Amino acid sequence: MRIGEIIESTSTHFVAEGFELNHPPALGSFVRVCVGEGCDLYGVVCYGETGSLDPGRRAVRRSTEESFDDQIYRESPQLEHVLRTEFTSLAVGVIERGEVLQCLPSQPPPLHFSVHGCSADETTLFTENLHYFRILLRASGLVPVEQLLAANIRQVHRGRGEDKDWLQRAAREAANLLKYDYDRLMTLLYAIEPTS
Amino acid sequence: MERSRLGVVTDGAFNTGLTVRLDADRSTEDLRVGEFVVIEGKSNRYFSMISDMQLRVSDPRLLSSPPDDAPPLVAHALAGTSTYATVEVKPMLMLDLTSDLDELRGPQSVRTIPMHFAALYEASEMDFATVFGKEGGTNFAVGTPVTMDIPICLRLDRFVERSNGIFGQSGTGKSFLARLLLSGIVTSRAAANLIFDMHSEYAFDKQTEDGHWVRGLRELLGSQVLVYSLDAEAAARRNVDVTLIIGLNQIEAEDIMLLADELDLTATTAATAGLLGDQYGDDWLRQLLAMSPDELAQFCQSSGAHPEATKALQRKLREVQRRGYLTEKASFSLIDEMVTALGKGRSAILEFGRHDSPLDYMLVANIVTRRVRRLYQQKMERFEETKAEADRPLQLMITLEEAHKFLNPTVARQTIFGTIAREMRKYNVTLMVIDQRPSGIDPEVMSQLGTRITGLLTEERDIDAVLTGVSGRSFLRGSLASLDTRQQLLLMGHAVPMPITVRTRSYDKEFYQDIQRGGRAQELPDVVATDIWAE
Amino acid sequence: MKLSLLDKALQQMTELALAKDRTQWLVRARQLLHDADPDRLRGKLLDRTVRVPWLVAIPLSTMDGVFEAPDCPKNFTVVAADGSSIPPDRHSPARYYVINTGHAILTYGDQPDAALDSSAQLHFQSEDLYLDPLTGSFPVEGARLSAKMVVAELKALWEATERGEEPVVALSDGSLILWGLQNEHARVQQQLLGEFLRYLERFRGAGIPVASYISYPGARDVINSLRVWLCQGEAIDCGNCSASEVMDFCRALVGILDRQLFGFLRAGERSAVFESTSAILDQYGADRIQFFYMEVGGEVVRIEAPQWVMRNSEMLGLVQAVVYDQCRRSAIQPPYPPALQEAHEQAAISSTERQLVEGLVERALAREGIVYTRSAKDRSKRRRAV
Repeated sequence: MRIGEIIESTSTHFVAEGFELNHPPALGSFVRVCVGEGCDLYGVVCYGETGSLDPGRRAVRRSTEESFDDQIYRESPQLEHVLRTEFTSLAVGVIERGEVLQCLPSQPPPLHFSVHGCSADETTLFTENLHYFRILLRASGLVPVEQLLAANIRQVHRGRGEDKDWLQRAAREAANLLKYDYDRLMTLLYAIEPTS
Repeated sequence: MERSRLGVVTDGAFNTGLTVRLDADRSTEDLRVGEFVVIEGKSNRYFSMISDMQLRVSDPRLLSSPPDDAPPLVAHALAGTSTYATVEVKPMLMLDLTSDLDELRGPQSVRTIPMHFAALYEASEMDFATVFGKEGGTNFAVGTPVTMDIPICLRLDRFVERSNGIFGQSGTGKSFLARLLLSGIVTSRAAANLIFDMHSEYAFDKQTEDGHWVRGLRELLGSQVLVYSLDAEAAARRNVDVTLIIGLNQIEAEDIMLLADELDLTATTAATAGLLGDQYGDDWLRQLLAMSPDELAQFCQSSGAHPEATKALQRKLREVQRRGYLTEKASFSLIDEMVTALGKGRSAILEFGRHDSPLDYMLVANIVTRRVRRLYQQKMERFEETKAEADRPLQLMITLEEAHKFLNPTVARQTIFGTIAREMRKYNVTLMVIDQRPSGIDPEVMSQLGTRITGLLTEERDIDAVLTGVSGRSFLRGSLASLDTRQQLLLMGHAVPMPITVRTRSYDKEFYQDIQRGGRAQELPDVVATDIWAE
Repeated sequence: MKLSLLDKALQQMTELALAKDRTQWLVRARQLLHDADPDRLRGKLLDRTVRVPWLVAIPLSTMDGVFEAPDCPKNFTVVAADGSSIPPDRHSPARYYVINTGHAILTYGDQPDAALDSSAQLHFQSEDLYLDPLTGSFPVEGARLSAKMVVAELKALWEATERGEEPVVALSDGSLILWGLQNEHARVQQQLLGEFLRYLERFRGAGIPVASYISYPGARDVINSLRVWLCQGEAIDCGNCSASEVMDFCRALVGILDRQLFGFLRAGERSAVFESTSAILDQYGADRIQFFYMEVGGEVVRIEAPQWVMRNSEMLGLVQAVVYDQCRRSAIQPPYPPALQEAHEQAAISSTERQLVEGLVERALAREGIVYTRSAKDRSKRRRAV
């Protein structure tokens, strides 16, 4: 499913404008960009932001006693057009003809190409291997990396049908990668501990 | 071959051993110091021992705020990553997997170490068999690995070839082990045995502390074992072959020096015996005991002996004279006959019966052994002249309990046992010393013990003593300290390819049956022992 | 600029703005608005013999009438358009200008929707650049360009309106009275106004109310009418004024704006409708522009619309209701109709875009071997070297 269009593209990450206002793909979820015949570039959503389309315009308060939340959008239909939701994805690998490569892609994805949400099968295929954790932990965004990784693990765990083995494997891999940073590690581990 | 993986090599040195990081799903509690493990290198298989274990954390912050009540996922994730364990592993033997030659020769001494990330495995039955051989012939099963039910074999031919020792504090099963080994040695004809049985416990069935009966060697092995006794009364009651009589003429000055402590003699007094020996030869003791005060004074005057010391010696030895097994004059024929029997491969147990004081034990053992060794020396010299295989004296192993009495630093230089231990296998006579206080034994003697088998020792100096002259003492110390109080032994030295902890075989019905069926004659490729003894 | 030099003047200016007596005059002006007889005033204003030197508002009914905003329909559409331009650059070897129009179509009610878009046009043909292309006279710049843009805005508004669901109100920003063309040559007026009126006619034909929204209006039309009412002279000749008893009041009125005069309106209320006397309106025919003032919830604005809107009470009510509703939906204070705001956002040309256009032209010219040489003054403005 197409969920956005790339408006900024670099070797490490790409920014897309989402098609649905206020609903960027979930933090940590997988997205893909079809960059060629049988070749998809995979990314992990690391940041989402909704704001004015025009950097010079700021959003202002619109709610009243009677009118708030969704009502605001019904009463000001232009908002759908002057606001935009952007999301940033970290490039974490490529699947080329069924073969998974977890590393930065050789080329940034083309600007204006479509960003697709990943299906459960696609996510499952890509996450068999966990080397991409290292890429996520090197990210330098506004979201702390342990939160990003935790979000990713939660998303993938759900996407893989609550795969307990995978979750344990992921937790161990994370623990291994963050073994010299106990505080971050514990933040992460407590964030991915299933609630049930 | 399916082995269970334990971890990977991450660090190490040839001299100090390898550091292995345990796999996350492995617990230190599943392992024991001293455990036999295998490292699969690229071209070599390393048979190794766990010498130490350590718990580690990757981030010191974890130590200051350990997670309490960690949910299962957290605990599972931390184990093996932030918290992990390493084990120190010492390669003892290696098998070159690329060489056909090594397949035949078996494991060789270690000449190299594996590279990083070589995997560490629990040893499989096959590994034990590769290193320790299979049961049969002179390969005698003394027990099983602690965690496995396969035999660990001792090479009895190598065992008897050099003096050896069985140690361990009381209750660790030394005398049962001795019984096992003696049965094995007798059955496999690895050596003839002379056993000084101070407490009369080897020959006949005996009730143990916990109330059940164990078989004596005589009953188990029949006529292959001759029983001698010093105690004529007891001999009459029991099925004893020969009652041994010792003549005063057979007691030498050296024996008196050995008994100095028991007789409460001063050094000067003991030295007087030497002077008497010089003057009267074999007859010195009889002469001394028969001396009147005048004769004694005269002797002192002529020989320069100290009169008071000589008088004291006379007084003390008169007490000895009253022992039931002593007679004025005796020939060596009884002992010589025994040596003849030993020479034919039979074994002899000398029971002390009532005469089980240290003094009797030491005096008689020393006299008998001295004679035995003298005869063996002659046999050896004859063999060296004739070079006829038929003249080669059969290996003799002398079993000696309370060994420290003969081999403590003060007397070891003078007793025949010290001599035997030091000259090693020169005359095909070796010792099996049994003692609970190895620290009481002269370090020089200790260092000559080719094979040491030890149960738990708690005293530092005993542990030090047992490990005298052993390379890699530090890691063996760990294994030694981790032994169970009963039925667990550490084998090391000449008769085993590498040190190993075993659960001792039971001395029970099953064993009796095995022994009576005779050793299975299955020979295996020769196993080269690790040279763990420092040069 | 040395801002400190302005300090003192600023202080005096503030005092003046706060002058107490102005409040008193305002009260009197409102009284006058109430008292003046609209019919007699209209007669006086339309009397050709009385020369009125100012723009005035011709009252069509009671001058101080107040009209509440009716309710908005449940479903309706607001269409708005706006424009901006890149004027011709005399430093450039190529003469061109750009007009960018933007529009917003906002649909309210059961199925809210919005469509925002813009359309830019580069004008470079001589018939675009000169209103008389044969002689090269009447270049499109200044007031002519502004008028051209207003025409383009109205065109964009009409085109957007066609897409809106009825009932629909079309809003434009700024005045519908092209007074800037007043002093232009008849030919110019004919061309520009002609096109403008053709679009107004389309609205009229379609029966779609069109209106313009003037925020912060500086007009004094109604005040001026009051001054005429006040003046006893046959001819309005202030230079020779002798009416000493009303002179102070008349002079004070000069300092008051219509929007201040109508400050008494409450949110949503509008004033009576007036007719403008701009000379250019004489050419508007059936689409003559009328206006009223309205309090939108934070300021008094001026709403202009053709007379056929103002005379149709339904349309007038719809315009008033929609403008007020728009202002209530505004997120800013004082309010501004969101439709106009979005149209403006669409139309606006940022400085980056201006440079971009310049660059595009430059490159297109260079491709043809025309080197873009700038005047020295222009270069100094751009480089700002120190």
